[in-house]
Amino acid sequence: MARNRTYNRRNILIVLSVILLVTCILTGRLVYLMIFKSEYYSAKAKALHERERPIKAKRGSIYDINGVELATNKPVCTISVIHSQITDPEKVISVLSEHLGLSEEYVRKRVEKVSAIERIKSNVSKEIADKIREYKLDGVMVDEDYKRYYPYGNLASKVIGFTGSDNQGVIGLEVKYEDYLKGINGMILTLTTAYGVEIPNAAEDRVEPQPGNDLYISLDINIQKYAQQAAYKVMEAKSAKNVKLIVMDPRDGKIYAMVNAPEFDLNDPYTLINEIAKDYVGETLSDEKLNELLNQMWRNASISDTYEPGSAFKIITATAALEENEVKLEDRFFCPGFKTVEDRIIRCHKAGGHGSQNFVEGIKNSCNPVFIEIGARLGAERMYDYFKRLGLFNRTGVDIPGEANSIMHNIDNVGAVELATMSFGQSFQITPLQLLVAVSAVINGGKLVTPHFGLQIKAPDGRVIKTLEYKTTENVISKETSETMKKLLEAVVSDGTGKRAYLPGFRVGGKTATSEKLPRRSGKYISSFVGFAPADDPQVIAIVLIDEPVGIYYGGTIAAPVIAELFDNILPYLGIEERYTEEEQKEYKVGTFTVPDFIGKTKKEMKDLLRVYEFGEIYTLGEGDIVIEQFPLPGEIVNKYSPLVLYYQ
Amino acid sequence: MARTAGEVNAKKTYHYYDYSMLFLILFLVCFGLVMIYSTSSYNAQRIYGDATYYLARQALFGGAGILIMLFVSKIDYRIYIRKLPIIKLRPITILYFLCVMLQALVLVFGEEVKGAKRWINIGSFSFQPSELSKIAVILGTAFIVNLAPKKLDKIWGFLRVCLFMAPLVGLIIVENLSTGLIIGIIIVSICFVASRKKAYFIISGIVMGGLASLMIFFVDFRSTRIEAWRNVETHELGYQILQGLYAIASGGIFGKGLGESMQKLGFIPESHNDMIFSVICEELGLFGAVALILLFILLFWRIFIIAINAPDLYGGLIATGVLAHIASQVLINIAVVTSTIPPTGIPLPFISYGGSSLLVILFEMGIVLSVSNQIKIQR
Repeated sequence: MARNRTYNRRNILIVLSVILLVTCILTGRLVYLMIFKSEYYSAKAKALHERERPIKAKRGSIYDINGVELATNKPVCTISVIHSQITDPEKVISVLSEHLGLSEEYVRKRVEKVSAIERIKSNVSKEIADKIREYKLDGVMVDEDYKRYYPYGNLASKVIGFTGSDNQGVIGLEVKYEDYLKGINGMILTLTTAYGVEIPNAAEDRVEPQPGNDLYISLDINIQKYAQQAAYKVMEAKSAKNVKLIVMDPRDGKIYAMVNAPEFDLNDPYTLINEIAKDYVGETLSDEKLNELLNQMWRNASISDTYEPGSAFKIITATAALEENEVKLEDRFFCPGFKTVEDRIIRCHKAGGHGSQNFVEGIKNSCNPVFIEIGARLGAERMYDYFKRLGLFNRTGVDIPGEANSIMHNIDNVGAVELATMSFGQSFQITPLQLLVAVSAVINGGKLVTPHFGLQIKAPDGRVIKTLEYKTTENVISKETSETMKKLLEAVVSDGTGKRAYLPGFRVGGKTATSEKLPRRSGKYISSFVGFAPADDPQVIAIVLIDEPVGIYYGGTIAAPVIAELFDNILPYLGIEERYTEEEQKEYKVGTFTVPDFIGKTKKEMKDLLRVYEFGEIYTLGEGDIVIEQFPLPGEIVNKYSPLVLYYQ
Repeated sequence: MARTAGEVNAKKTYHYYDYSMLFLILFLVCFGLVMIYSTSSYNAQRIYGDATYYLARQALFGGAGILIMLFVSKIDYRIYIRKLPIIKLRPITILYFLCVMLQALVLVFGEEVKGAKRWINIGSFSFQPSELSKIAVILGTAFIVNLAPKKLDKIWGFLRVCLFMAPLVGLIIVENLSTGLIIGIIIVSICFVASRKKAYFIISGIVMGGLASLMIFFVDFRSTRIEAWRNVETHELGYQILQGLYAIASGGIFGKGLGESMQKLGFIPESHNDMIFSVICEELGLFGAVALILLFILLFWRIFIIAINAPDLYGGLIATGVLAHIASQVLINIAVVTSTIPPTGIPLPFISYGGSSLLVILFEMGIVLSVSNQIKIQR
């Protein structure tokens, strides 16, 4: 056996020294990692361990001008299961599939899936969720959440818009005011294992959500209801494709109502409405096609679709001509039923022609040759100058996304024929809203307004965050021309093509239009009417477009009464008093009188008396000769031609 | 040691026994069990539904290992190189050929785990022959060197030793470079201690380094490890190491507290294995990690004391071999976990989960204790 010599021992010491040296190096490395790199890696590790669970912020509501909620939030629940906490999977499956109306295998698949948390169904109503909660099932989680809810269903659907799955606006005001409405989502940070399982009792970081702000808009729920009702009525009566109706305050551009019939249900925006679905009955729609149809359904045609305004555009031509002194009210014109421009014969809508007439009669008759004449006097350049002043080359700037712009000839390409057709509203396209804004400027004393809905943004506690301001341009035309135009347009309604818009007691001005759709001679028309009241001090202006009416299609015949009916309803509502002229009182049998005392009178006496008083229908009840009771009672003040009930004995 | 027989007989002699080292070993094994439970309970619960699954198995091996160690420590270590009475063979020769056979066997029939054949299944336990080979290498190298220690003064003497060990080392290196590396370190350390002139160690060190890097850069799966190590934060194979770094660094100075590791919750795959040191750092902090390193240093110190006081060269060489083995594993493991060197699978002695590794280490401790037991003290 060899001996353990001194040099062997020294060598062992060298080995140990090397080991200690390496140990020191590694300890140094540890110190570096655990002290100097600690923060860097810990932050990374924390990011890896933490899972964010968002807490949805409550979206702000939308209120109409009266403070009525148009878009709000409804509590709904989300049902989820936590695999690791389920103790009785069979019961969970049966309860959930029964109450949620889901197939058993669908629920089973989710219950049996090994995952941190599995969503079974969202948007479950509170009542159903409460029932599920009562079972007290282990591993079943009921989270309360908010769902966007529109109390008025399809009212102004294309204006208000709706929200998507993440509570984000998809169309309409919901998109435009997204930043104000959405609020800031909060979150819960929880620690999880590598398999995503939350660690129980671990400290949670919580960032509270901030609710969104409320939006107050100029839309008036009552006017919208009247307008929508009127639009649907005429759409059904005339089997029209669609009807657009906008009601606005011409003084500042506040939009009271905007109807795009047929509307859709905001609470169910992904289901095709019957008006569209009926064309595809029995067909299986591809996703692409369905998407296209949905987009078509959601389209706000009042601002996104252009059309040839037709005769209503004569308002603009007349305004330009009057402002430029190219025509006087007493100027005389002759209409033989057509006018030759260069090599083209342009017809008037009245086959035999209107014969000799002054300018006032020309506009009342909506005579094309008169406007071709004054258009020619103006020339393209000045005409375009007025288009520009009246905002027809620009989008109106309304606060709804998706607005279209007008389609106009390049001024260099405007020859005599183009100028002639433009004079009475053909060969170019504008949106209905553009026309409404231009006419507003004509009748409000020359102020070009920005049409709008949004008025104020308020915090959930009612504090005003922002009052929305809109651009107006003053004096685009003179006050005098505006006054003249108001009188002319009132004459159109009281004694011209627009007389079906006449409303006794109110001074209504307006202009009819019947635009033939392209291609010509297809027999498809857009009948429209733009009207305002009171004519001497316009406080409300409205435009209605009836797309492809079946049968009679003249704007004066079918569109004007829509506005008359609407105004009849909304003018008193807006606080505009009826004022009857004397002729009106006679013609429309208006006025009041005090009911005399008929009691004790005989039948014979009554016969004579009733000749003096202006009652309507007389109803007699009972067998006898003497009046013992009467209705209305003596001394009451009643309208003329009210019915009278008499009881005899 | 150079005393006359008369003097020896004149005084009473005692057999020394290193109880402080025994205590260190028991402490390390128990600490290992605590950490195994801490790191593995989550995964054990998740996979086997029993949080103590790994703990129970490791405790079983630990208990058996301690008994074996105590038994081995009472056997004179010189028995391994004496011829057995009946079969006329030295135990070391039997062990050596057994290991060669097992290493060859594992290459053919071994169970493939993560692309490498390293395991032989015996019933429900799997056994890693390369662990046993480490004992054979320590005892075998020491035996050959002890036959003619003077030959090691020249390089030919060293090469002769290498030649004897080549069949076994070759078989290990084929599939497990890191174990091959440990074994290389053991052989070199033993030869180094035995030699009086050692210029050739520098040369052979360079040659070994060259060979290792050849293996690293030309064997595909190992060179991607280098790539992963260089770009540990971006490379997809750096995942495990990066998770280990997260654990170490998030421990800070005092750690998160025992059992509070986040990274063991599935982020570090098999955190009770080779990466256990990172969880120790996370839970016990820099203080805990340094304390553990100090415990190892104390153990190294005790082995060193035994090695220099060994009654003969053979005892000293065995103790040196064990020291080289334990130290290299501890240091390589910590270096890997701290991303100081490219990743390689070396368990942390006493602590990491692994039955055969723990058994072999405790067996080796038994041998070292047996060397200490042969030291005679006179009073």
